[in-house]
Amino acid sequence: MKNQRFLPLVAAVVMFGSVHALAGNVKIIANPSVKAEAISDSEIKSVFLEERNSLRDGTHVEPVLSRGGPAHAAFLKDYLGQNDDALQNYYRSLVFTGKGSMPKVLHSDEEVVAYVAKTRGAIGYVSSTAAVDGVKTLAVYQAENKTARKLISSLEPVYPAILHSNQIGGTVRLKVTIASNGTVEDVELLGGNPILGEAAMAAVKKWVYAAGRSRTQTEVSILFDPNR
Amino acid sequence: MYRRTVLLQSICLCAAQLSLQAQEFKLFDRQVQIHGFASQGFVHTSDNNWLTMNTSNVGSGEFTDFGANASVQITDKFRVGAQIYDRNLGQLGRWHSSLDWGFADYRFKPWFGVRGGKVKTVLGLYNDTQDLDFLRTFALLPQSVYPTDLRDATIAHLGGDVYGTVPLQRHLGDLSYTAYAGHRSDSIYSGIAYVASQYKFYYSSYGGLQYGGDLRWNTPLKGLLIGVSRMDEDLSAKAKFINPLNPSGGFIPDNEHSKADWTNQFYGEWTVGRLQIDSEYRRFVNDQVEQVAGSAILETKVDVRGWYVSGAYRIFKRLKIGSYYSRYSVTRVSGGPLAPLFPDQTDTSLPANHIYDKVITARVDLKKFWNLKVEGHFMDGYGDSTFPDGFYPQQNPQGFKPNTNALVLKTSLNF
Repeated sequence: MKNQRFLPLVAAVVMFGSVHALAGNVKIIANPSVKAEAISDSEIKSVFLEERNSLRDGTHVEPVLSRGGPAHAAFLKDYLGQNDDALQNYYRSLVFTGKGSMPKVLHSDEEVVAYVAKTRGAIGYVSSTAAVDGVKTLAVYQAENKTARKLISSLEPVYPAILHSNQIGGTVRLKVTIASNGTVEDVELLGGNPILGEAAMAAVKKWVYAAGRSRTQTEVSILFDPNR
Repeated sequence: MYRRTVLLQSICLCAAQLSLQAQEFKLFDRQVQIHGFASQGFVHTSDNNWLTMNTSNVGSGEFTDFGANASVQITDKFRVGAQIYDRNLGQLGRWHSSLDWGFADYRFKPWFGVRGGKVKTVLGLYNDTQDLDFLRTFALLPQSVYPTDLRDATIAHLGGDVYGTVPLQRHLGDLSYTAYAGHRSDSIYSGIAYVASQYKFYYSSYGGLQYGGDLRWNTPLKGLLIGVSRMDEDLSAKAKFINPLNPSGGFIPDNEHSKADWTNQFYGEWTVGRLQIDSEYRRFVNDQVEQVAGSAILETKVDVRGWYVSGAYRIFKRLKIGSYYSRYSVTRVSGGPLAPLFPDQTDTSLPANHIYDKVITARVDLKKFWNLKVEGHFMDGYGDSTFPDGFYPQQNPQGFKPNTNALVLKTSLNF
């Protein structure tokens, strides 16, 4: 069953393996010109610290910051590992030694979404409940998961209509056990709304991965976004 | 000069009343950013005069600097920018503005980029940002490792850098590297020139090849950074002086060159929550020869070692406190016909060969762009009077006292 609300997200996430456990606190959003559907946690860090200004696929990106607020605090803690004071000093040291520029800083989720929507390559973050019209939401995965198996075929979860109509969404985290022949042996709900979790598990049980030498486990996160 | 200081202070105060913001405008469809900063300090000392100022009476406010820069991202990978800088610290700088940095930067990949032009030299945690008062808690960086009178010696080079950041596998953090080569050119208003002037020895040029590198590891332990820097130099200078053995003979032209000149620096920084702890060790070795008409008249070997440990803690949103212990020692051995005039100094337990500085600081952020610092220094020793390390015979003709306490007030703005 086709469901455009999370098709690209799910596929990209699973291909790269386990998803950042805290990805549910903020959404990473990007201008539609950004080709990638997913981004690693280490890429996010190096983009926002201006160590790189393009993603692995070559797409130019430009970081956009929020000025304070819970999304900003969660983003700093989860992805950059430093407080706002240290981050501002870091940017100033770049600016006054010529090694970087001051990123755009906006005051609210709405301003961030509006700016990202109109600016080529812009990448920002907003709270997980913010409306994200006109931008794409990037899935986030951990950079180093060498045991990840390639997803061959997938079935998208069915978003329970009653939850969708009541604007109930969120991220569901699953532990998936993959047999050596690539079929899904077992799925366990690690976190998230139980009803959304049931829907996600039902779909994931029918996924098929590339065959491997032995049984492996991976963590999958699926975002049910009521605004999409 | 006094009028200039007052004018700058007035500008700062007026600017502080406004909400300072960086300026941005478009030029040929490219976004240009303009930023600036300024600082004003005041120093009062209990005994010896310090940092080329007359600080021991009412104190001195000849402690001002400012800078402004413009930069633009030309393409996704290519950016250019430049910054002017000016300072007046007692007898140093003397309001002679200079190009602080100005270069083109092309980043091919996150792990490989190049810069060319006048580039700030990476050496330890703070060498390239030592002028940026607003970045740190302390009014003065530990002078054992970052002597402000030797700013010109390390601050920038005219040449190029290669740089990059390489992520390590297995969650081992990442490594950042910088390698550089270029030409160092000191102002004739530097500490080196000033300390030499006590002997009626006047430089017309001082500089030379400077090359080195820096490697820093952002460890997997959250907030912990460790690194190492190395700098080598091949310096030469032109000067004139009056021979102390024949004062009536007038000025004699002098050439100077270094036989060895290197710096090693090791450092670590740990940030956990509101607490930041830094520690660095620097060793600087210089062996230089003075020549007149092709003959060596004086060879001086200087060995400087310094280290510090600092801690800074943010108590409230707008209040930070900090403290550091800084330990500096210098030894000097001379040879050649003029050597008897410069007796060897090798005993670092003497106050003439060390400075041990205990420091406490409070920083108040009055606005996001404006801060005020109050700092106390409690110093044991006054260093080598023939080497630029804060205490100069010109300001202390009565001789040095073994201990100095200092009160430093400083305010800075940035946008």
